[in-house]
Amino acid sequence: MAEGTGRGESLSIWFFVGVMTLLYGLVLLPYGAWEWFGGHEANTVLHQLHPTFWWGLLLTLFGGFYTFRYKPRAGDAGRA
Amino acid sequence: MSALALVFTSQRLTHLSGIDVLILALYFAVVLFIGFYVKGSTNTSEEFFLAGREMSAWIAGLSFVSANLGSLELMGWAGSAYQYGILATHWYWVGAIPAMLFLGIVMMPFYYISKTHSVPGYLQLRFGEGSRGLAAISFGLMTILMSGVNMFAMAVVMQTVLGWNITFSIWIGAITVAVYVMMGGLRSAIINEVLQFVLIWAGAALIPILGLIEAGGWTNLKTQIAANVGSNDYTHLWATLGSFKGNPMGIHWTGIVFGLGMIISFGYWTTDFLVVQRVLSANNLRAAKMAPVIGAAFKMAVPLIVIVPGLLALAVLKNPDGSLMHLVPGDIAKATGQHAYDEVLPLMLIRYCGPGLLGLGITALVAGFMSGMAGNVSAFSTVWTYDIYGAYIKKNASDKHYVAMGRWSTVAGMLVSIATAYLVAHASSIMDYVQALFSFFIAPLFGTVILGMLWKRATRAGGFWGLLAGTASSIAMFIYVQTGGKAALARIALSPDAQPMAENMYRALWSWLVCVIVTVAVSMMTKPKTDEELQGLVYGATVIPDDGAMSVWQKPIFWAGVVAVVFIALNVIFF
Repeated sequence: MAEGTGRGESLSIWFFVGVMTLLYGLVLLPYGAWEWFGGHEANTVLHQLHPTFWWGLLLTLFGGFYTFRYKPRAGDAGRA
Repeated sequence: MSALALVFTSQRLTHLSGIDVLILALYFAVVLFIGFYVKGSTNTSEEFFLAGREMSAWIAGLSFVSANLGSLELMGWAGSAYQYGILATHWYWVGAIPAMLFLGIVMMPFYYISKTHSVPGYLQLRFGEGSRGLAAISFGLMTILMSGVNMFAMAVVMQTVLGWNITFSIWIGAITVAVYVMMGGLRSAIINEVLQFVLIWAGAALIPILGLIEAGGWTNLKTQIAANVGSNDYTHLWATLGSFKGNPMGIHWTGIVFGLGMIISFGYWTTDFLVVQRVLSANNLRAAKMAPVIGAAFKMAVPLIVIVPGLLALAVLKNPDGSLMHLVPGDIAKATGQHAYDEVLPLMLIRYCGPGLLGLGITALVAGFMSGMAGNVSAFSTVWTYDIYGAYIKKNASDKHYVAMGRWSTVAGMLVSIATAYLVAHASSIMDYVQALFSFFIAPLFGTVILGMLWKRATRAGGFWGLLAGTASSIAMFIYVQTGGKAALARIALSPDAQPMAENMYRALWSWLVCVIVTVAVSMMTKPKTDEELQGLVYGATVIPDDGAMSVWQKPIFWAGVVAVVFIALNVIFF
């Protein structure tokens, strides 16, 4: 049974957590890379630490792990 | 251009770039998708109102703590940390952790094994229809009014930070929440609360991380705060609470320990149905006991993203000319054009977060507001359907009928919230009264529920009259302080040096005592129920079933002990 979304569903709540953070990571990581390597850093305090890139990487890893760990597998749907 | 003018106003702290809008749009798409996705598993009343009672301890626990992690609280307490220093942490530690552990270990077995659908439902089983009716009507009314206040507050934040039009924010938020709660009921609300919890951390955790790097660590931060405010008082949790005058909040440790720690927090965390409903969705007794313990562990970490940014602002927040920025109360800010205390979190967000990260932070705030609204409206629809409509208007209808009523009451509740939001927009003083109204019921309700669970002798009449007397005394004290000024405050809070913050603490304490004394007195004069009638509802008349823990690692009491040790250690470290 998919945890949290109801009997018979195949996508678990943790899968949604994973997908959402993975999507954000995949948006932030390339944008942070473009800022860093293209010299387009925003004028924020400590921008020289490239927070967008590193935070994007962290979210990608976290989201990727959860998405993979809780992805629907064959036979999940309908199993109560 | 004219359509854009309807959405944006000219004054704003910042603006969103394309990547920020993309991040915000992704959030809306995911939550709406979840609403439609879980609709198929939301056909019975148990599924719609209690998420099928199939949530694990982790989901119920995160949802439990997240239901209280609204953006208004985050921004308000960050502002309080700026205003009062680390004392604001008490609302997250002593004002939450003991009560959450008590709920999990002592009270949850009764809520859970009584199979009640709601807190008013428990009162009906224990004390009869009078107590249920009083609690249900007051809770339903207050919840829906509070939802409107939160809706308006969200719209004001969006206007201040992003320049969004108030009407635009209210309707976009309300429609989205109404759609996904109407589709998926409590299940939708819980999933979104778990998502919101992750989002809050993803969007806000960078502020304390980068802030502490900028300040040069915790020790340097304390030194800078002491130099900027001219006092060491802002970084001590307990050392300054020996007198009302010795701390920025104007409160005594007895108010914090007895008023906040023992009454207000126990009242809120153990009897407010908005949070208790999340734990009732647990899939077994052990999960129901573990969920508040897990919630407490995460709750202890929240000051990192709320209190620390407020403290950091005292040290690092600067004007464009490099001078230290001084935030002021909201009414002064309106007159002078300075920034208000409550803007400290957005100001710190803008300080460290450029495009992308800013969108993530704003999305976290929006998610906090929307899940707060969803929490209110889902709790309202449950109490309305079970404890008002099903109890007094249409008894014995089919399950399908009640589910339909739950869906429609969600929409109706949201419309009342919207009307409240517009009412508050035109008369802002109503906001203070609505927030005060909520505090009238919480402390006495805790008195009624705790006596009901722990004292077999408490009777039906005792429960009802105690609850009524406690609530009436709280309202009377509120009116007394509002009309009697500082002298009245000094009497209620036991000191001429007490500040308004202390009034809430002592009013809660006195109204709880009134409730307990009246309940005991009336109970002693009336006939108690037999042990058979109290089976499953009261200690001493109930055999608590085994929760199925096979080892010490699976025992909720063990993990509650671990959380308690960490809680004590944190209070000693920041004493």
